[in-house]
Amino acid sequence: IIEEEDLEDPLWDLEMALLESDVEMSVAERILETVRETMLGESRKQVETTGELVEAALHDALLDVIAVGQFDFEERIAEAEKPVTIVFTGVNGVGKTTTIAKLSEWLAERGYSSVLANGDTYRAGANEQIGEHADRLDRQLISHDQGGDPAAVIYDGIEYAQANDIDVVLGDTAGRLHTSDDLMAQLEKIDRVVDPDMTLFVDEAVAGQDAVNRAKEFNEAAAIDGAVLTKADADSSGGAAISIAYVTGKPILFLGTGQGYDDITRFDPEALVDSLLGKE
Amino acid sequence: MVLDDLGTSLRSSLDKLQGKTRLDEDDVEEIVKEIQRSLLSADVDVSLVMELSSSIESRALEEEPPGGTTARDHVLKIVYEEMVALVGDSTELPLENQTILLAGLQGSGKTTSAAKMAWWFSKKGLRPAVIQTDTFRPGAYDQAKQMCERAEVDFYGDPDGDDPVEIAREGLEATADADVHIVDTAGRHALEDDLIAEIEEIEGVVDPDRSLLVLDAAIGQGAKEQAKQFESSIGIEGVVITKLDGTAKGGGALTAVNETGSSIAFLGTGETVQDIERFEPSGFISRLLGM
Ligand SMILES: Nc1nc2c(ncn2[C@@H]2O[C@H](COP(=O)(O)OP(=O)(O)OP(=O)(O)O)[C@@H](O)[C@H]2O)c(=O)[nH]1
Ligand SMILES: Nc1nc2c(ncn2[C@@H]2O[C@H](COP(=O)(O)OP(=O)(O)OP(=O)(O)O)[C@@H](O)[C@H]2O)c(=O)[nH]1
Ligand SMILES: [K+]
Ligand SMILES: [Mg+2]
Ligand SMILES: [Mg+2]
Repeated sequence: IIEEEDLEDPLWDLEMALLESDVEMSVAERILETVRETMLGESRKQVETTGELVEAALHDALLDVIAVGQFDFEERIAEAEKPVTIVFTGVNGVGKTTTIAKLSEWLAERGYSSVLANGDTYRAGANEQIGEHADRLDRQLISHDQGGDPAAVIYDGIEYAQANDIDVVLGDTAGRLHTSDDLMAQLEKIDRVVDPDMTLFVDEAVAGQDAVNRAKEFNEAAAIDGAVLTKADADSSGGAAISIAYVTGKPILFLGTGQGYDDITRFDPEALVDSLLGKE
Repeated sequence: MVLDDLGTSLRSSLDKLQGKTRLDEDDVEEIVKEIQRSLLSADVDVSLVMELSSSIESRALEEEPPGGTTARDHVLKIVYEEMVALVGDSTELPLENQTILLAGLQGSGKTTSAAKMAWWFSKKGLRPAVIQTDTFRPGAYDQAKQMCERAEVDFYGDPDGDDPVEIAREGLEATADADVHIVDTAGRHALEDDLIAEIEEIEGVVDPDRSLLVLDAAIGQGAKEQAKQFESSIGIEGVVITKLDGTAKGGGALTAVNETGSSIAFLGTGETVQDIERFEPSGFISRLLGM
């Protein structure tokens, strides 16, 4: 029979391991709490150590969190009424614009046309950046001058798609920190006016403990349908995925794995859990 | 003192010591646990947290509080001293001619920080120039140029160039009149061998007085590996922490400082060119411990 004190050391070791993988502390603690509850009073076979049992229970608990609400993105696009409007949100510099370029190519490879709409009317060089992606990919870009209304740009993108039989509108937004009340209010407004079919929250695999705060705040300002985790090539652990899925209850859909247009893959929950538990 | 606004949980565990003149092991253990929690949720490297907390623990148990000092104040002083010993003072930046090379992960804030630092030097009466060597990221030239217009500082870049090393060389010549040269580079991470080799070449040509690592305040445990790689390839003399206007605590910078044997130079606190501050230890330490 497993008792409280048998669990203390293995659970502490696992908490440190989760923190080393960038799982947020309160999320790690709540996950380990479910592990503790499932373990207590369980009887152990002679061949198993408590450590092994705890790790198996953690595997299941992590998978429960990260596999939340997974859906087939391509199927969702296929079935939706066209044009499908997708708005990308997230803090500064995580990779929203690059992800849009990659997804536009990903969609093209699967037979869907897309238009890019630059709702980032704020950052220096934003129009030039997405413009160069559009040129290289030979996609149409809808943009307004710097200082323009982001919602209006994305709205124009939708009208363009309707008039030209385009399947998907990929709407970019300026990076913003969740602490900026003005910019978060602007995001709410974009969400209200554009009323997108999907909102994808973009964050980076290298993010640490703060991933929880921003996922929560962005989800509150403009409810998200899923997340994209970029820069997975820079980091092998990616515990931020756990934090984001846990606080939003929404699935991670894609991983960004580099700066090239092909560097995007479907997210695989099992693979992430295995890598978190050191079983690559 | 800074530790007056310590995190609430840390403070309440310290409050229990109010009036005590001696600490028993349980007191110390509880406080050390709280300090660990604060530092871990600030993204400080796990092994560094363990090192720090064990030296705090042994000092708290071994050292006699000086006469008239309460146990609580004594612990506070130890915590503060240990943190200061690690984080050190702001990176020294003499107000004279110099060349600064910026390096760091994709999207960490290098280009924005280059313009901000140029603005900062111009307010100190020096003439700065920013040289953009990023030929990879779409729009990088325009972004840097526009930011430099906002900062009202000199700018050099080559929108058609494809060799960052060549642009760095030409840029230094073209801006020879400037006092302070700030060289921006494309984003890269520790595992990209070809890009690491590229920045080594840029460093060779630029021969900077100091290379600064630009780190997002929200970076997690990966900060250690990144800092180690940049230190071994170009040598890091200072860290710039960006996006401190968010809720991230910036503990990755502490890890980076420890890994590179350097210090923190600047803090970025917003998207405009004026949103830059010189590093100041006490405010940063209280943020790390959870104000
Ligand atoms: N290594 C790597 N770099 C990436 C990835 N995705 C994006 N990047 C890089 O990250 C940097 C920032 O990407 P952007 O797409 O501009 O990010 P953003 O979120 O649109 O940034 P803002 O609009 O400024 O908020 C660029 O240098 C990209 O090339 C990825 O999956 N891996
Ligand atoms: N809120 C806030 N945003 C910042 C700060 N510093 C930079 N940013 C934003 O972060 C994003 C990335 O900044 P860049 O300067 O493009 O980063 P970079 O390191 O040059 O990116 P790459 O060249 O793609 O590697 C942009 O949206 C900037 O406006 C800061 O201190 N606070
Ligand atoms: K160094
Ligand atoms: Mg963008
Ligand atoms: Mg840049």
